[in-house]
Amino acid sequence: MTLPPFSSSRPLTLGVELELQLVNTYDYDLVDSTTDLLRLLKKKGKDWDVKPEITQGMVEMATGICTSHADVFGQLDEIRQGIVECADRLDIGVCGGGTHAFQHWSERRIYDTPRFDQLSSLYGYLAKQFTIFGQHVHVGCDNADEALILLHLLSGFIPHFIALSASSPFVQGNDTGFHSARLNSVFSFPLSGRAPLVETWDSFGEYFDSMMATGIVKSMKDFYWDIRPKPEYGTIEVRVMDTPLTVGKAAQIAAFIQSLARYLTLERPYSPQEKDYLVYTFNRFQACRFGYEGVYVSPRNHEHRSLSEEILDTLDKIESHAIALKADEACAALRREVLTARSDVDWLRRQHAQTKSLAEVVQRQCARWRA
Amino acid sequence: MMGHTQWLFFMRIALSFLLASLAGEGICRLVKMPRITGYALAGILLGPLGLGWVDGEDLPDFRFLVELTLTLLLFELGVRVSLRWLKYNPWVIASSLLESGATFVAVFGVLMVMGFEAKNALSIAVIAMGTSPVIVLRMVTEMRAQGQVTQRLLVLCGLNTVYSVVCFYLIMGWFQGTFHGQWFMALFHSFYLLAGSLGMGLVLALSFKLLRRMFELSDEQSAPVLFGLLLLLQAFLVALELPVFLAPLLGGVLAKHFDPRPHLWPRHFGTAGSILTIILFMMTGSLLTRSEFMVGAGAAMIVVLVRFAAKGLGVLLLGPISGLNLRQSLVLGIVLIPMAEIPLVELMDMRTLYPQVGVRILPIVFSMMNVLEVLGPMAVQWGLIRSQEFQEKSS
Repeated sequence: MTLPPFSSSRPLTLGVELELQLVNTYDYDLVDSTTDLLRLLKKKGKDWDVKPEITQGMVEMATGICTSHADVFGQLDEIRQGIVECADRLDIGVCGGGTHAFQHWSERRIYDTPRFDQLSSLYGYLAKQFTIFGQHVHVGCDNADEALILLHLLSGFIPHFIALSASSPFVQGNDTGFHSARLNSVFSFPLSGRAPLVETWDSFGEYFDSMMATGIVKSMKDFYWDIRPKPEYGTIEVRVMDTPLTVGKAAQIAAFIQSLARYLTLERPYSPQEKDYLVYTFNRFQACRFGYEGVYVSPRNHEHRSLSEEILDTLDKIESHAIALKADEACAALRREVLTARSDVDWLRRQHAQTKSLAEVVQRQCARWRA
Repeated sequence: MMGHTQWLFFMRIALSFLLASLAGEGICRLVKMPRITGYALAGILLGPLGLGWVDGEDLPDFRFLVELTLTLLLFELGVRVSLRWLKYNPWVIASSLLESGATFVAVFGVLMVMGFEAKNALSIAVIAMGTSPVIVLRMVTEMRAQGQVTQRLLVLCGLNTVYSVVCFYLIMGWFQGTFHGQWFMALFHSFYLLAGSLGMGLVLALSFKLLRRMFELSDEQSAPVLFGLLLLLQAFLVALELPVFLAPLLGGVLAKHFDPRPHLWPRHFGTAGSILTIILFMMTGSLLTRSEFMVGAGAAMIVVLVRFAAKGLGVLLLGPISGLNLRQSLVLGIVLIPMAEIPLVELMDMRTLYPQVGVRILPIVFSMMNVLEVLGPMAVQWGLIRSQEFQEKSS
């Protein structure tokens, strides 16, 4: 298999995928009910895109092609409602959040498909550790070269996306101290990280072919990059976000990415260069570990500032683009959140402090997802 | 100081207990069968059918423990029955009513055909409706099972236990009426038993919620508190002459409804639960005398089969519409096989109160109970493995 040609899609259109947790309503641990939920959803006869994920107890929902924030929110909310209704019939809970607070990876069961079985035999326990829940946002691109440029320009904003969406402080029953501990599971995969800096689809094809020749990869799916091109859709896919606790927040983040993409495409404030990546992993770590309070190092002028300042600054820069896309309300909501430091992580930690029980935190996550 | 007879009794029980628990371990390790099948086999072996170390005479000494076991387990089972779910998915209630109704009708019918008196056939049919909470809960805990079949097994078991106990008391009321000709008193008494149980269940649920809120009990600390509360409940039930079984079950259902927060304390009841289960199984084994077994075994086998068919058909018919697939519906019919030990103590009372009835139905009921205590856990184990709802022990 070689690299497929890059289909063209309408620039700045969006597609959003959310991976969700299925839990029992008894002790709120993950429950192997993916198959049952998908069966009931199918009976509803809607054309909702809901798929299994690598382990039982996970499910992925996706929008179709969206043009605006309102569109994304409308589609996400409709599917959310449908999933909640089916889950009620099975007496299971559904919730957002990048990790399940106290599940044990060894108790997970791989969802039985040839691809997941193959991943499981290759990666061993890493596959079960991959029971984590992310938000992916596809951004439509006119052509492949544009897509690659946008990919590398957006890479500078990975810390922003991480901090805004972070919702995974708890892992395997403990508070990790991280805002997004979920990404630590992604980093353990050998082909995670960033895409190589090439600016044309032809040179990307060469890179892909030489990787194929080494026998390490078979398809684009084998790369676990933070942002990766999806040639079949004609999009680039931002994959670093945790699934937020509400679809409202997920739609806001999609709107932020869309506005940012418009800003970067139309204003082209700078061109991507390899030097930008010197601070990449440092910034990403800071965002995962400290959220808004993390340090952000500007790749251009090496200035150190807090990530919250940097995000507010970015929101200023993209304001006119947000207005043009009718994403301004969504961006304003994110701004308020950064200013008050009321993130999903903060909410989760407060619930834990109140209840002293991670099971109750998960119960409240379910209530929040439903509201 | 302990007298010589007392000491012998103590020794006999201690040895029996040790043997039963070892039988459970042995059967689990050697042939990978459920531990409780081992307990049941040991119970039969130690009882009058085998060595005769334990018999029905011992029951009064253990009545308190047997009832305590059932109280704890029934409360735990009640907590797993979510009224909200039944509201969201009324087909679960429908399939519960169908499987219990079908069981009742089929067992009653076959016993009538076999020439039983209506009164006796009714009693057996009512007892046959119930699935054993003890076996179901122990198996689900031991296999750490979770999933749709497990969920429905627990709920259907909780519901059919309620039907079975309620009907049992109504029928007992009816017996009293015909026996003594005091219809009004009999009806009033049945009503008292049922309403009283519901009331005590309500009190239990509310006090648990109140205590949990006042002391901000986490689940670890709430285990002893809950234990105390259930013990107190048992004391009140005895004082009020209410059945020991309905109140904790209804209390559990209401507790979960009033306080839908996660309940994790059953984990902390684990060891105590398995010890008490062994005693309970020793006792059921001890009830079956050789003569009763000779009289009842044949009819019991027929009833077991009819009961199985009725339950299986009931859940198979309404399984798919309630959200299961065909295979899960089939498996659900099989895991419902274990039969309730609930009326155990009542049946013992029946032996003395209504000997004419007792002599006709007890051989069948005790034979069924013992057969299904051996086969029931195996059926549940097989079913939960088939539906892939068990979890490997991570050690």
